[in-house]
Amino acid sequence: MTPRPPVRASAPALLHRLTAKVLAGSGSFIQRLCKGKLESASGVTVGAVWVLTAPVFFLCAAVDFLDGGPDYFPLLVSGVIVEIAGLVVVRFGRFPSELPISRLFVAVVSGALAALSAVTFAHLATGTSIAVDVALVEAAATITGTNATTVDAESLSLGMISFRALGQWLSAAAMIVVLVRVLPHLGVGGLDADGGVSTRSARRLAPRSGSTMARLMSVYVGLTGLFAMAYLLAGMPWMDSVIHALTTLSSGGFSTRSGSIGSFQSGAIEWVAILGMLVAGTSLPLMFRAMRRADLHRFIRSIEFRVYIGMVLVVVVAILAWSGEWPTLASTRHAIFATTSAISTTGYLSSGLGTVPFGGEALLLVLMVVGGMSASVAGGFKVMRFMVLGQYIRRELTKSIHRSAVGKIHLGRSSIGETALARIIGELFLATMILVPVVLLFAADGLGVEGAFTFAVSSLSNVGFAFGDAWPLGHLNSLGALGHLSATFLMLVGRISITPVLVAMGGIGEPTQRTIRRWRLTKRDEIVR
Amino acid sequence: MRKVAVTPVRVSGAALLAIAGAMLISSVVAAVDGGGAGFDLLVSALITASIGCALFYGSTVSPTADSALAFASVAWSWVAVSVAGALPFLLTGVIPWVRFDDALFESISGFTCTGSTILSDFTSVPQGLLFFRSMIQWFGGMGLIVLAVAVLPALGIGGLELIASESPGPTADRLSLKVRDTARRLWLLYGLLTGLISVALLFAGMSIFDAVTHAFTTVATGGYSTYGDSIAHFESFLVEAVLIVGMLYCGASFSTHWHAATAGLGAYRRVSEIRWYLWMIFSAFVLLVLVNTGELDWVDNLRDSLFYAVSLGTSTGFGTSDYIAWMPSAQVALLVLMLVGGMSGSTAGGMKVLRLQVVFRYAFRELLRARHPKAIIPIRMGRTTIEEQVAAKVVGFVLLYLGLVVIGGITLAGLGVDPVTAFSGSVSALGNAGPALGEAGPTSNFLVFPRIGRVVLMSLMLFGRLEVFPAMLMLVASFRGLSQIRRRRG
Repeated sequence: MTPRPPVRASAPALLHRLTAKVLAGSGSFIQRLCKGKLESASGVTVGAVWVLTAPVFFLCAAVDFLDGGPDYFPLLVSGVIVEIAGLVVVRFGRFPSELPISRLFVAVVSGALAALSAVTFAHLATGTSIAVDVALVEAAATITGTNATTVDAESLSLGMISFRALGQWLSAAAMIVVLVRVLPHLGVGGLDADGGVSTRSARRLAPRSGSTMARLMSVYVGLTGLFAMAYLLAGMPWMDSVIHALTTLSSGGFSTRSGSIGSFQSGAIEWVAILGMLVAGTSLPLMFRAMRRADLHRFIRSIEFRVYIGMVLVVVVAILAWSGEWPTLASTRHAIFATTSAISTTGYLSSGLGTVPFGGEALLLVLMVVGGMSASVAGGFKVMRFMVLGQYIRRELTKSIHRSAVGKIHLGRSSIGETALARIIGELFLATMILVPVVLLFAADGLGVEGAFTFAVSSLSNVGFAFGDAWPLGHLNSLGALGHLSATFLMLVGRISITPVLVAMGGIGEPTQRTIRRWRLTKRDEIVR
Repeated sequence: MRKVAVTPVRVSGAALLAIAGAMLISSVVAAVDGGGAGFDLLVSALITASIGCALFYGSTVSPTADSALAFASVAWSWVAVSVAGALPFLLTGVIPWVRFDDALFESISGFTCTGSTILSDFTSVPQGLLFFRSMIQWFGGMGLIVLAVAVLPALGIGGLELIASESPGPTADRLSLKVRDTARRLWLLYGLLTGLISVALLFAGMSIFDAVTHAFTTVATGGYSTYGDSIAHFESFLVEAVLIVGMLYCGASFSTHWHAATAGLGAYRRVSEIRWYLWMIFSAFVLLVLVNTGELDWVDNLRDSLFYAVSLGTSTGFGTSDYIAWMPSAQVALLVLMLVGGMSGSTAGGMKVLRLQVVFRYAFRELLRARHPKAIIPIRMGRTTIEEQVAAKVVGFVLLYLGLVVIGGITLAGLGVDPVTAFSGSVSALGNAGPALGEAGPTSNFLVFPRIGRVVLMSLMLFGRLEVFPAMLMLVASFRGLSQIRRRRG
């Protein structure tokens, strides 16, 4: 028997194997730990989040120590506390054998709240924020990838800057888990599953969700490395390159400078950021398939990608046309930068964002709402969902003329089921219902009409910058404690999706609901008697 | 003579005849007042009547009738009367001929019961023209087609579809087995209410002219006033109280009022929409009072907050003070009121409370379904179950409505209007409310928008009054009709 020739592993294959091993390792580590008697998915998730987050604290403490910063000790101590708390919670808990959807949603929301509390703790321990509400909103901006902040980035230690950037990057990585495991239960927005729909750009990559997750994660890690190199080559200092690569690919938006990317005053850096933001808003499975086969036609074949790029082009042309000046290379770059920053929900600012005309502001706001492609790490409502809504309106118009017409909604070659359609519409209406009271609250708490509305939209879509008097990033500073808490809520809702949050809240209030229902039934019986 | 078998032409002719009548009455008022414009209004009436007669008697209804044709007939007749309604403004010289589009704006704003104006100096406008301006809102409030169906047996086209295309709300409520009787009853109630409000306003201290014109625009929830500073001109609590009651009553469903008048007040209790409508206005009032506490003295606070909660909650748009000086949260609350509007089947504009109810139920049903994926949950409102088809239509309407607000806002902002004025202008025009936020507040006029911007606003007003779908389908049906005619000739 002839021996098999040795297989030469390529760099992407090695990266994939490594990512798969890290994911499997963390999973089995948590599974080994949770042998307690208390069967609780939420408990295990909270513990797991704390246990797996603690190394980030240690890493950033080491970075700060090497840089000679003041925050290494608070980061180290808070990391130890978070790790111990996580180990204790996991040790007493056990993952349930069956997990209904409502419990799954509760677990996801609990995980997000666990991450929020850990990051809030770090902000308070290091003195980055003194007030709890400010620390909470800073933490929410970190874990949801929103570029909204009350602190001047240049006054932060390197340890804290890295912590916030890594927080954004890891939360986007956690979103990949949500994309594969949770969002399919809500229809489009994640990968396909029972009841959900997907176009070709958001199909599963492997039968097992674990393998799909590993593949997507390897794309994410690989692209982050590539963009760190690109920033470096464009002339950014190496630490800034790494931090900006982390916040670009996660569509987070935090920067090392208070003036964001614009502070570097470099066209090359802005072009790299533009490309990075476009990539962050693109579907990860689509990129994986295109890269694996080196087949760029996959992008052109994806109807969602075509619409995504088409929207960017239309808005850039509109901004340039409405600016009232003949377009130059610099003004075109600024227009493309602002557009990609809004649609990918990154929230970076270029040096020329102050010159956007009124019409451009309105279009950028719409792009924030639309967000990136489905199965991407970007926020917003997602391009595909809006395409589905457009088709829905068209069908209803047709039905007004032809009453008995049966219209099936298609996107490219994929057809959309009625259940998924109803879920998309429900999600949009629920988000609007949440948005309106928060706009009222923001307006009562110190923002003008424009600032309140645009900041609420920006927070819900996890962008960060907004328009109005406090533009581009002064909105959080203008708000009081109630405004900060509302912004925290909006950012979390925007990141996780409204339905899981409300279902989780309903799950928590289930005993109360049951009591009320029983009381009403008893009352009705009495009336009947 | 061979008649053209095109329904939209015949319906437009009937609508033009109704407007010619309004012009004739206004010319009589102008003659009695002696302030001029009587002759110009008479000339306008003759021109409109001639065109109306030519269209009406020169055409007949199409042999095939479907909903698309009904949509197109209603939408085209509204375009026709809007153009005719601009004539008196131009002939009297109040608006010069070179600004024909502004006359059209005033006319469309009148017929659609929006109440936005481009006039700034009301003292130089003849009384007859002010009367005509109020009267077109009165005609537009209940609907010209409803009127035509009620009084013109020779129209030759009946059916609920035609009325449904014009009436505000997702469905048209029958008050009788015969459609013509339904239309007659609606107009009877409408006329009685106008008379009642006129008398009440007269007792509150208004002159006969002011009482009648304000009754016209109150019952139509239009909001045109004969003074530049609107209701603030009268400085009378009693006038405001009468108007608040009038607006609140006319912002509710007329068919429910009819049922209540014929079968007792229990009819109101059976309609869940009315509870939502009253709760919404009451909540807005409480919110406005809370927000304005400390900014206004308490009497003014209560008075202005209640007036604006009702005026914008019913999309009337009368003004008593400048709410632009209020806190931003108060302005946001008013914008939400403009967006939602009054009840379905009323003369109010906006998205309608019934649709908001359906959307709420729909969203919460999806929330329940996310938790119990296999559950079958009907959408209920009070004791009624909403059919899936109706719910889908409502959802489609709301999505399209919000989409139009955004498109309108973007277009206006693209023309150089600041975003707050642009988007609130879009909401106000589509909801037929009248005033907006920013530079287009209640003490300002719509000249703050650029000329093309006003054309955009006119389209939004028509879309809003015709409830979006008929206006969208107007072009579709018209193109289809034209191609059919061409095919027949070919």
